[in-house]
Amino acid sequence: MIRSRTLAGFASLLRAELADLFQYRIEMFLYGLWQVVNPIIYLVIWSTVVGSGDIAGYDRDDFVLYYLVFMAVSHLTLAIEVYTMAPSIQTGRLSPHLLRPLHPFWRAGALNIAYKAVNLMFLVPIWVGLALILRPAFEPDWLGIALFLPSMVMAASISFLIGSCFAMFAFWTTRSMSFWDIWMSLTLLLGGQVAPVAVLPGVLQQAAVVLPMRYTVGFPIEVALGRVQGAELAAGLAIQAGWTVAAAAAFVVLWRAGVKRYGAVGA
Amino acid sequence: MIGRLARIAGAYFRSALQEEFAYRGDLFGNVIRSVLNLGTAIGGVAVIFSHTETLGGWTLGQTLSLLGIFVFVNGFVAMFMSPSLNRVVEEVREGTFDCVLMKPVPALFLASARRFAVWHVSDIVLGAIVLGVALAGLDVRASGWGVLLFVALLACGVAIVYAIWLALTTLVFWFVRVANVTMIFNLFFQTGRYPIEVYPFWLRQLLTFVFPVAFVTTVPAQAVTGRDPSWLVWIAPVIAVVAVLAATRFWRFGLSRYTSASS
Repeated sequence: MIRSRTLAGFASLLRAELADLFQYRIEMFLYGLWQVVNPIIYLVIWSTVVGSGDIAGYDRDDFVLYYLVFMAVSHLTLAIEVYTMAPSIQTGRLSPHLLRPLHPFWRAGALNIAYKAVNLMFLVPIWVGLALILRPAFEPDWLGIALFLPSMVMAASISFLIGSCFAMFAFWTTRSMSFWDIWMSLTLLLGGQVAPVAVLPGVLQQAAVVLPMRYTVGFPIEVALGRVQGAELAAGLAIQAGWTVAAAAAFVVLWRAGVKRYGAVGA
Repeated sequence: MIGRLARIAGAYFRSALQEEFAYRGDLFGNVIRSVLNLGTAIGGVAVIFSHTETLGGWTLGQTLSLLGIFVFVNGFVAMFMSPSLNRVVEEVREGTFDCVLMKPVPALFLASARRFAVWHVSDIVLGAIVLGVALAGLDVRASGWGVLLFVALLACGVAIVYAIWLALTTLVFWFVRVANVTMIFNLFFQTGRYPIEVYPFWLRQLLTFVFPVAFVTTVPAQAVTGRDPSWLVWIAPVIAVVAVLAATRFWRFGLSRYTSASS
């Protein structure tokens, strides 16, 4: 009963946010371009470096394919909560939302999904266009493709929950953005943007396999392209599920502590 | 006139400095942020060079020098340019830009030298350190002329960045809801992390003549690392002067279109 009311509330929030963001679609698109330009830089670099050989099993076509999928996955798993929720915590605009019979982060979730949906309008043609121009060879790995969706959902969830945790740092500090900067630059290196995780050298690769960054972007791509197989695949999915639970726990803990603190400041 | 403007800018800078020292705890956090960001950037370069000897003809040391210049310029821009120019975008949207126009100093001056994000000084210092360490490893002979050329090219690069940023900001007079200028600028500026020679021909042309990032990092790095300087070295001052003149003209044109928020 409560469950269906929550979902109905979420659905109306989503409709409202979609209508709102659609008004700013050009601005949204400029933000969305980040997830196109950055992968292109590394696509170009690795195409140059790899030449006609291969690196850790990736030849030129594989790098092209990897970064094309990266564009889509990094857009769909992006966390924007530091830009949406942190300012409302700082300015006190969160207060009216606390009075609603719905957790404020349902609204953050609606905003997150609406942003991604509105941007698809521009990004899908770009992705398809680039794929048609670059035409990388592709041999489908059906198990990987089947497991891609669950892995993507987990990646987007971890990303959203961790992004929300960083946004909630705003309950304690005025510069939660600095922490987010650090997190993002670590994700850049260990999450699969600078290079696919298999291409990272020794220690960095071991760190990437354990830490959460890879499981917010890189891992679903590796799954979809059949880059992880058998035991490695199973272990990866288990680690990803583990991080999803851990991120949810951190989210709940931070929210409880943060809301208390929020009242105490008198915002 | 110049002296008066310098005094005003100095006063704004001092007030920014005082504000910064009111939040000393943040300062510490920001230094950590700068160090970690730099660490991951160097890590990225290390990953690439763990699989290759050269990148677009650049060695590891040369590429790191370029990264140092990138971090330096990035910090410089974030400290001296973006805070003031971003404020203009906000003010035009809110209508408070009228107050700027009424002050007895040129609007362009107030738009460019009013706010400073002092804490980015950590990026400036770290960028300089990376450049210094990378150059020491390269063992390039520094002649007086070489240093002078490098400083001049760096100044040209910064001037070009200013021109681009001013032009982007000026768009606000037409599109009040101009997107976050920092965002657009950084998007393309990221390409400057790596030498321009890495990119395919068409992109290289784009980054040289349309959004001239090449002059900001690659060209000064060529000069200082002792690489064969390309012909771009000689047109850098020309591009810088033309870009700044064009941007200030565009600014004046845009300003004449300013209709304030109420009308």
